[in-house]
Amino acid sequence: MQRAKALRISPVGVRGIVGPGLTVTHALDFAAAFGTLLATDGPVLLGRDPRSSGQMLRSAAISALLACGRDVIDLGIVSTPVLQHAIRRLNAAGGISLGASHNAAEWNALKFLGPAGTYLASSEAGELLDIYHLKKFAFVEWNQIGKLTYSADAIDTYLDDLARIFDFEKLRKFRVVVDCCNGTSSTILERVRDRFNWPLILINARLEGSAFAHEPETSARMVGSQLGPLIQPLQADAGFLFDADADRIACATSRGEALSEELILPLVADGQLAKFPGRIVLTNLSTTALVEDVAKKRGGEVIRVAVGRQAAIDALSGFRPEQIAVAGEGTGAVMLPQFRFVYDGIAAMLMILTIMADRGQALSEIVAGFPKFAMLKGEVPLKQMRIPQLYTELREAFGDEGRANTLDGLRVDWPDHWFHVRVSQTEPIVRVICEGRGEAPQALFDGLMEQVRRLA
Amino acid sequence: MSKREHLLKIGVSGIRGVVGGFLTPGLACEFAQAFGTYVDKGRVVLGRDTRSSGEMLENAVTAGLLAAGCEVIQVGILPTPTIQMYVAAIGAAGGIALTASHNPPEYNALKLFNHEGLFFNNYERAELLDLYHQSDFYQATNEEMRGVQVHHDRPMALHLERVLKHIDLARIRARRFRVALDGVNGAGSLMSVHFLRDVLGCELHAISVDPTKVFPREAEPRPDTLGDLAALVRRERCEIGFGQDPDGDRLAVCDETGHVIDNDDALALVADAALERVEGDVVVNLTTSSVIDAVAQRHGRRVFRTAVGEANVVEGMQSVRTAIGGEGSNGGVIFPSVHLCRDSYTGMAFLLNRLANSPGTVSERVAALPAFFRRSSKVAFEHGRLGPLMQSLEAVYPEAQINRADGLKLSFPDGWIHVRASNTEPLLRIAAEATTAARAEQLQMAVEGLLRSR
Repeated sequence: MQRAKALRISPVGVRGIVGPGLTVTHALDFAAAFGTLLATDGPVLLGRDPRSSGQMLRSAAISALLACGRDVIDLGIVSTPVLQHAIRRLNAAGGISLGASHNAAEWNALKFLGPAGTYLASSEAGELLDIYHLKKFAFVEWNQIGKLTYSADAIDTYLDDLARIFDFEKLRKFRVVVDCCNGTSSTILERVRDRFNWPLILINARLEGSAFAHEPETSARMVGSQLGPLIQPLQADAGFLFDADADRIACATSRGEALSEELILPLVADGQLAKFPGRIVLTNLSTTALVEDVAKKRGGEVIRVAVGRQAAIDALSGFRPEQIAVAGEGTGAVMLPQFRFVYDGIAAMLMILTIMADRGQALSEIVAGFPKFAMLKGEVPLKQMRIPQLYTELREAFGDEGRANTLDGLRVDWPDHWFHVRVSQTEPIVRVICEGRGEAPQALFDGLMEQVRRLA
Repeated sequence: MSKREHLLKIGVSGIRGVVGGFLTPGLACEFAQAFGTYVDKGRVVLGRDTRSSGEMLENAVTAGLLAAGCEVIQVGILPTPTIQMYVAAIGAAGGIALTASHNPPEYNALKLFNHEGLFFNNYERAELLDLYHQSDFYQATNEEMRGVQVHHDRPMALHLERVLKHIDLARIRARRFRVALDGVNGAGSLMSVHFLRDVLGCELHAISVDPTKVFPREAEPRPDTLGDLAALVRRERCEIGFGQDPDGDRLAVCDETGHVIDNDDALALVADAALERVEGDVVVNLTTSSVIDAVAQRHGRRVFRTAVGEANVVEGMQSVRTAIGGEGSNGGVIFPSVHLCRDSYTGMAFLLNRLANSPGTVSERVAALPAFFRRSSKVAFEHGRLGPLMQSLEAVYPEAQINRADGLKLSFPDGWIHVRASNTEPLLRIAAEATTAARAEQLQMAVEGLLRSR
């Protein structure tokens, strides 16, 4: 099972290491399949992150879409949320976001967005894959071929919408340091700085094709590498770290301490539920139980679905936006109903700052008010593929008196702790997560890891 | 087998086909990636004509070249000769022009150039084709990716500078020629207007010079497709009219009476002007009229003949010291001092230069050329039957002088016959020429009779 993990084609799209994995042919055929799939009229929008390979993928996608008779509007280097926003504003038929988010520079990906600017539902995504595999594309006659145009105002109109939801006048009193990780958040935040006269301090703000200052991973570890140590010397109120396509964040307190990425969702849920009590917090089975505590305190409800963006997208389609407080995962990616469920790091940052402003509390004080949970994470290479047997045996060995959930692997809950064991969607590994109130359930975790190593 | 429609052709002349179901973005992209692999991650100049599929294919080819690790220099909509010159001028590793030349608008093609800006020769084409078929393309990583540069005005300026070196600009401008132009809304539209009106100071009457519109006529500039140009010449009392093809390499010429002159005669007039100015011999294909021999003889130069096809003529030109070359039948002049490629701008400039420097109208100059009577036809034909036909034809004319460089050419003191299989379609092309119309007809009928009897 240790084959090169250079390419992954899944309902979410295609993602891989450019060259050995992801090729121009994948990009072309996927874009052609997307052009064939689209049912509604209207142009298709393109945006990309600054990776060098983005230009190659962009040209491939443009070519395939034009050949399918679609007009294409190229937004250039913009974040995925800006692209998603523009799709709705321009009544586009859909969009393709080219960017590998939190992956290292050598990766890239095509992500497909429907007419509402949201990711494709599973049924549509499955259809896309079928067309891709069939390679029967709806190319048009020579005189029906689409036209390419460019749009440069996508960031400003996106900011118009943000300004309707967030009070920049109130937020601009905060001294904030942002690590843009050489990605698309920098162009947005530079514009925020000028337009709202907010002296944000941006580091790693230059768009880079391959020489990222560090991995664009939104984790506490990455916060500690460059952003954290700068906060106290700069006397900042908070620090935020973005991934390359600005859809997720990590953050640091005014003391320069990195907060666990697991805290982003509870923070935003707390703020949203304070404003919209009784609403639903949608998250996955691997996310901290702190979400339930926060929801309980604010009179909200938690719905947990399988891990992965696709499960969240599918689940959300069953609710009206005004039923939802927030949807998100433990990676620092959250979606707000005000933005029709787009993972948006900028909106998440503004939401956290808004909570700080409304309560007059520092980030560390807000977090200090949360009950403490401790989490342990492990992974085991998958060799034998006896996965159902693994879950059955774990349940027999560890599941007594707990409440079991088999929606995605095996999760067992007790009043003060839980574990979740599942096979990763992206890599051939088994992930093991345990969390306990106050202290981490170390003995349970060790036992699980031993058993999983034996059976995986 | 011969009934097959030729909607797609991947072969020694590159890749050409009908856009939509045949020439797909995927095919263009793969071919470009093979090309990029062949030129080994170098800089590649990419330009196109005005076809509606141009932008789509430009992106497909850009993607393929970038994927192979090339740097792409996009020059946009430009004539093919301009693109070719630019490849050599900036020291690029190669070039690609997206144009199906004189083919109808539903077609497009990738024309491939080496680092000298010349059409790939047979060896290069075969190598590239092997790479394409092996599908073993270079796949650049993110670290190796190079970018796209857009070069807008420089290629055109460079081309026109080169042409201007060979004409007497002040004299041409002083004459303020009344010139008609039919640009077929092609790649040369804007450049031709600029060249004739602004640079050469002509009083220009132009039609079909909007590159955003479709071709208003059949794309190949021939007497039967240039009716609007002829009418324009008459209406505006122009001294000369020019008709281009969509990629600006071919040129047809209309005299002041509104008569579109034979392409062989146009070539002869341009050659006459060129031989006046530069040393060297003449290289043309086997089907080019003997009128060129008369012109060359007048200047004491030799004429060398090659197989049909621009690449063959260019190869011939590289092996002797050539003043000028071309292919009479399709209206292309190749003037190596500008570049080794067919170039309508050189043709226009030389003809105007000639008019400026010596007395006489275009029709008078054509009338002064020795008269030859030409006939040509094409017959549906299976490729494998050419050999037996050649043998029977030789048997009919044992006295003829024989050339087998491209099909069969039989030459007589008063004329010749040339039969060859088309490179692109299952057709037999028959051409005959003689000093009298009756003899030309007799020669052509001999071949057609032989075909019927078989």
